[in-house]
Amino acid sequence: MASPSPKSPEQNEKSKQYDRQLRLWGDHGQAALENGHICLINANALGTEIIKSIVLPGVGSVTIIDENIVSDEDIGSNFFLECSSKGLNRGSEALRLLLELNPAVQGHAVQEPPDQILKENPEFFKSFSVVIASSLSERTIQDLSQHLWDINIPFILCRSVGFLSLFRIQLKEHAVIETHPENEQVDLRLDVPFQTLADYLNGFDIDAVELKDHGHIPWIIILYKAVQKWQITNPNSWPMSRKEKNEIRSIVQEFIRKDENGVPINEENFEEALRAVNTALLPTFLPVKIQELIYSSSATNLNKDSSPFWIMCSALRGFIEAEGKGKLPVRGVLPDMTASTEHYIKLQNIYRAQAVIDAEIIYRKVQQIVAQLHCESISEADVKLFCRHTHDLYLIKGTCIATEYQLGGSVASYIARYLEEPDVMMVHYILLRAAEMFRSEHNRAPGDWEPEADIAKLKTCVTKLLSDISCSPFPKDDHIHEMCRYGGAEIHSVSAFLGGCVAQEAIKIVTKQYKPVNNMFIYDGASTNTATFTF
Amino acid sequence: MVARVAGVFDEKLTEAIANSKILVVGAGGIGCEILKNLVLTGFPQIEIIDLDTIDVSNLNRQFLFHKEHVGKSKAQVAKDSALSFNPNVNIIAHHDSVISNDYGVSYFKQFNIVMNALDNRVARNHVNRMCLAANVPLIETGTAGYAGQVELIKKGLTQCYECQPKAPQKTFPGCTIRNTPSEPIHCIVWAKHLFNQLFGEEDPDQDVSPDTADPEAAGEAGASALSSEGTTSGNVERKSTRQWAADTNYDAEKLFTKLFGDDIRYLLSMENLWKKRRPPTPLTWDNLPGKDDTPAQHSGLPDQRVWSVHECAQVFAASCKALQADLAGRPEGDHLVWDKDEKSAMDFVTACANIRAYIFNIPTKSRFEIKSMAGNIIPAIATANAIVAGLAVLRAQSILRGHLAAATSVYLRPKVNHRGQLFVPEKTLTPPNPKCYVCAPKPEVGLACNLKSLTLKELTTAFKDGLNMQAPDATVEGKGLVVLSSEPGETDHNNDKTLEQIGLNDGCALLVDDFLQNYEVRVRLQQEDEEKTWRLVTDADAPMPAPKEEKPANGSNGADEPKPGPSRTRADSDSDMEIIEEDEDETTVKPPKRRRTEMSDEVVELC
Repeated sequence: MASPSPKSPEQNEKSKQYDRQLRLWGDHGQAALENGHICLINANALGTEIIKSIVLPGVGSVTIIDENIVSDEDIGSNFFLECSSKGLNRGSEALRLLLELNPAVQGHAVQEPPDQILKENPEFFKSFSVVIASSLSERTIQDLSQHLWDINIPFILCRSVGFLSLFRIQLKEHAVIETHPENEQVDLRLDVPFQTLADYLNGFDIDAVELKDHGHIPWIIILYKAVQKWQITNPNSWPMSRKEKNEIRSIVQEFIRKDENGVPINEENFEEALRAVNTALLPTFLPVKIQELIYSSSATNLNKDSSPFWIMCSALRGFIEAEGKGKLPVRGVLPDMTASTEHYIKLQNIYRAQAVIDAEIIYRKVQQIVAQLHCESISEADVKLFCRHTHDLYLIKGTCIATEYQLGGSVASYIARYLEEPDVMMVHYILLRAAEMFRSEHNRAPGDWEPEADIAKLKTCVTKLLSDISCSPFPKDDHIHEMCRYGGAEIHSVSAFLGGCVAQEAIKIVTKQYKPVNNMFIYDGASTNTATFTF
Repeated sequence: MVARVAGVFDEKLTEAIANSKILVVGAGGIGCEILKNLVLTGFPQIEIIDLDTIDVSNLNRQFLFHKEHVGKSKAQVAKDSALSFNPNVNIIAHHDSVISNDYGVSYFKQFNIVMNALDNRVARNHVNRMCLAANVPLIETGTAGYAGQVELIKKGLTQCYECQPKAPQKTFPGCTIRNTPSEPIHCIVWAKHLFNQLFGEEDPDQDVSPDTADPEAAGEAGASALSSEGTTSGNVERKSTRQWAADTNYDAEKLFTKLFGDDIRYLLSMENLWKKRRPPTPLTWDNLPGKDDTPAQHSGLPDQRVWSVHECAQVFAASCKALQADLAGRPEGDHLVWDKDEKSAMDFVTACANIRAYIFNIPTKSRFEIKSMAGNIIPAIATANAIVAGLAVLRAQSILRGHLAAATSVYLRPKVNHRGQLFVPEKTLTPPNPKCYVCAPKPEVGLACNLKSLTLKELTTAFKDGLNMQAPDATVEGKGLVVLSSEPGETDHNNDKTLEQIGLNDGCALLVDDFLQNYEVRVRLQQEDEEKTWRLVTDADAPMPAPKEEKPANGSNGADEPKPGPSRTRADSDSDMEIIEEDEDETTVKPPKRRRTEMSDEVVELC
C-alpha cells in the first residue's frame, strides 16, 4: 500500500481571506490591486469610507494627504477617528485606524497641503494608480486635475454635502481588456473551421458511434454535422434565418436514436445541441468597435510612448490582415457540455491549440513592434490575456475636469441641455459647484454660520454659474435653502454610500476589469434619485 | 457625538431617530456596514442578531472584525466594535438564529424597522413572515459581486419577499447522484453526501451507495445484480456507512476500495444502466493514474490546479484522517457540519468528487472551482456592501419620516446600463401580489403531486421546503382532521402512508399553519400522475381557481377563513387518519430537513 502522505496542496492564508473577491477579479486582478497605490486627499468621512473599502480587499498601499487637525465634528461623522484623535493630524490618525483593517496594506500620511505639493514636488503624484480627492478648493481642483491629466494618472473627484453627493472620474485613456460581459458569445468557428478543427469534425462519424457513446458526443459536433447535412440541399450557404435554423433543429432531431419501439431516446447532448442552435451558429465576424480600435490613429501611429494596449491592438491588426484572414484570434474557450472526457478534452485541446498558435503569432508581432520602438517589453501572459478578450475590448477616452470647470462652449451646452430635462439631476451639479464657489469666496461652507444670510450669497453663486452657461436662474430657491441648511456637513450614510461607489470604481480602474462609470455620477438622497453624465 | 447631523436633518426626522428601535438581522458584510451607519447617524437603540461565528474569509469585507476575532460571535464582536466608537448607543447582540421561538411576533413588534442583512433564503422567508405578522416595515438587502439591491417590504403596501416565486434550488434525482452521474456537479453532490454519511449528520436520503431501486435498472439485469449480492431491498448496505467506516478505523485504502472499487463494480453489474451510457471504470488503490508523475509546475494558487487521481487519493487519505480525528474529539453522538471554508472538509469533497468524476469519465476540476460549486459561492466585496448598506439606512430614514413612497426598490448594476443608469430604481412601490400565498389576505396555493405515491413525510417536506415553514400543522379544511402535527411524534406513525391512504383526494384542501410565523395557508391538492415528487402551483404557473364556494358547516359568517376546531369533528370511520387533540403549548421548532438532493445548504450567499 502506498503510504498516503498528508500533503494536501495547501491553501494559503491570503487566498482564504480573499476567496470571495478572487471569484470576481481572479488572481491577476488581485495582483493588480496589490500593486496598486491609492492616494487620498482629505480624510473626511467620505474619504475614509472610500479607503476602507479599498484597504479591505488588499490594495498595495495608501497615501493620505491631509493637513487638517481632527475636530469634534470629524470625530462625530468619521468612523476612523477616535476621541483621542482630537487635535492630531487627521490623515495620520485615520490612516492608523484604517490600516488596522488589513495588515498587508502599506500606508503613508503626508501633512502638506496639496497645493504646496503641486507647486514644489509635482512628480510626487506620478507613482499613484488613482488619486481620489474631496473638499478641495475650486483652484486646487483645476490645478490638480490638469496636472494629473498631463501625467496620465486617473483622478476621482468627489463630494458629499448633506443629502447630495457626486463623483467625477477623469481618465485620459483607459483600456479594459476584461469587461466581464453578462452574456458572452461563444467562439466556435463552425462556419469557418480552422484546419485542425475541420479535420476532427469531418473525421467524426455520428452514425458509427455505439449507442452507449451516442449520448456523449459533444453538441458542437452534432450541430456541425447537422449543418453539413443541411448544406447538401443548401450549398454555399449558412443557416441564418429563423426558418433555416428550424431546419437545422429538425435535422438534429433526426439524429436522435430511437429505441426498439421507435421512441426517441432522451439524450442530454442532443437537447443541448437544440438549445445552442440560436447562439452557436452565429457567423464569425469582426465587431465594428474592434475594427475602429485597431484602425484608430493610436494603433496605427505607434511611438515609443505608446501603451501596451495600443501595441497589442496594432499587432492584432497585423494578425487580422494576414494570418487571421479577417478574423479575430481563436479564443480557445469551450463551454461546459455533456460529453465524455475523451471527446471533450480532444475538442478542448483543438480549440486551445489554435488559440495558442494565434496568440503566439500576435506575441511575435508585439515583440517586433517593441524591438522597433525600443519601448518596454510586454509579457507573453499579457498578450495571451489580450487575445482571449479581443472580441470585447473597451476604451474610455475621457475629458479633463479643469476644462469642465471653465464651462466652455460644449460643456455649457451639455449642462444646459440636461437642466431642461424633467428629473433635473443636473441642478445638483450646479448647487455643488455653487457651494464650491461660495467656499472659495467666503472661506467656509454655505450655511455654516449664518444660514439666513448665506442663502442670498449662495443664490448669487448659482446665478453666476447659470449665466456662465447662458441659462436663466432657477424658478425656486428650495434647493438653495436645503444646501444652506446642510452647512457643509456630511451625512454619514450618504458618505458611506458614495464612498462605496467611489471605491468600487477605483477598484475597477486599478484592476483594469469591468467598465467604470464614464464619467460623472450624482446622488440626491432627498429624492433618492441617481444619474450619470458624460462630460 | 452626532450633534452636527441634528441640524442637517429636519426636526421630524431627528425626533423619529431619537425614539426609534431598529433590528438588524445578520452581522455579515452588509450587517456590519448597516450597524456602523446606524450608530453614526445617531440611532439610539439597536438589536443585532447573527448565528454565525467569524471566519477568515469574512475579513475581506466585514470590517468590524479582525484576525484575532476569528471563531467568535459575529453579533457580539460587531456590537463591541461599534460601541467602541460610540458607547452611548444601546446595542443588544444576540448570538442566535432568528428562526427561533425566542423571536416571535411580539418580539418583532417592538421595532420600528427591521433591516435584513442575510445570506440565505430560508431566513429571509422567515423574517419576511415575521414582519408581515408583526406589521413592521422590513428593509431587505443583498449583494452579489458588484451588484446589489435594497427593497422595502411593508404589509399591504408593497410586495413581500415571497410575492414573486423564486427559481427553485437546483435538485438532482437521487439515482443520477448514486448511479449515473454525468456532470461534475453530480459528483460534487455525491461527495458532500459522502461527507455527511461518514462524518456529518446521517440522512437516509443522502445515501451514496448504488441505488438498486433505480427504475432504469429494472429488468433482468438489475434483478440479477440484486440476487447476486443477496440483498433483499433497495440499498446494498445493511450496516450504516458510518458504522462500517468506523469499524475499519477510517482506513483510507479500505474506504477507497469500497467506494471507488466495489461499489462501482456493483453498478457495472446493473447492466441496463450502461446500454446507452459509457460504463464507469473501477479504480484500484495501488495503481492510480498520475502516480508516477512528477509534481506539475503550476502558476497561481495551488488550489487552482487540477489534481491527478493519485494526488486526489492522497488528499482523500489525509483528509479522512483529519476529519476522523476531529470527529473523535467531539462528544459521543456529535457530528461534523460540512463547511466550504474548513480545509479538511473541502479537501475531502474535492478529492472524492474528482475520483468519482474520473471513474465516470467526467472532466475533473480544481479545488477552487469545486469550492464554488459545492459551496454555491457568490462573490462578495466590501464596496457593494457599503453601497447597499448606505442606501438601506437612507431608506430607513425615509421610512421613519413617513415617506414610505420614496423607499422604492433600487438595484445596483455592475456597470452603467444603456439608459445611463448605475442604479436602476423602481418608479413606485411594487404593490402586493393579490395571489401571493404568503401575504394575500387569504393565502392559497396549489400542490401538484401524485396522491397515490406522495407520503405524509414527503408532504411535510413540501410544506417545509416549498412553503418555507418551520413547523407545519395541517388539517383538512372543513373536517378539522389533523393530517400533520408539529408536535413531535404525534403523526409520525402516518409518515410512510400515502395521501390517498389517509383519505385525501384530488381537490381536497388542507389548512396548513405555522404557529411561530403566525402564518396559515390553504393548500389545494391536485392529482398529477406524472409528478414524481411535488410542485407548488402558484399564480405564475396557472390561474388560481376561485375559492370554493361551499363553506363548511362550522364556518361563522363566511367573513373569515373558518378555523376548524380539530377535536370537534371526528374523522370518517373509513379514513385511515387519526385525530389529535390540539394542544395550546408552543410547538418546538425543528431545523428543516431536506429530502431532495440539493447543491448546497445555501441558495444564495448574498453578503
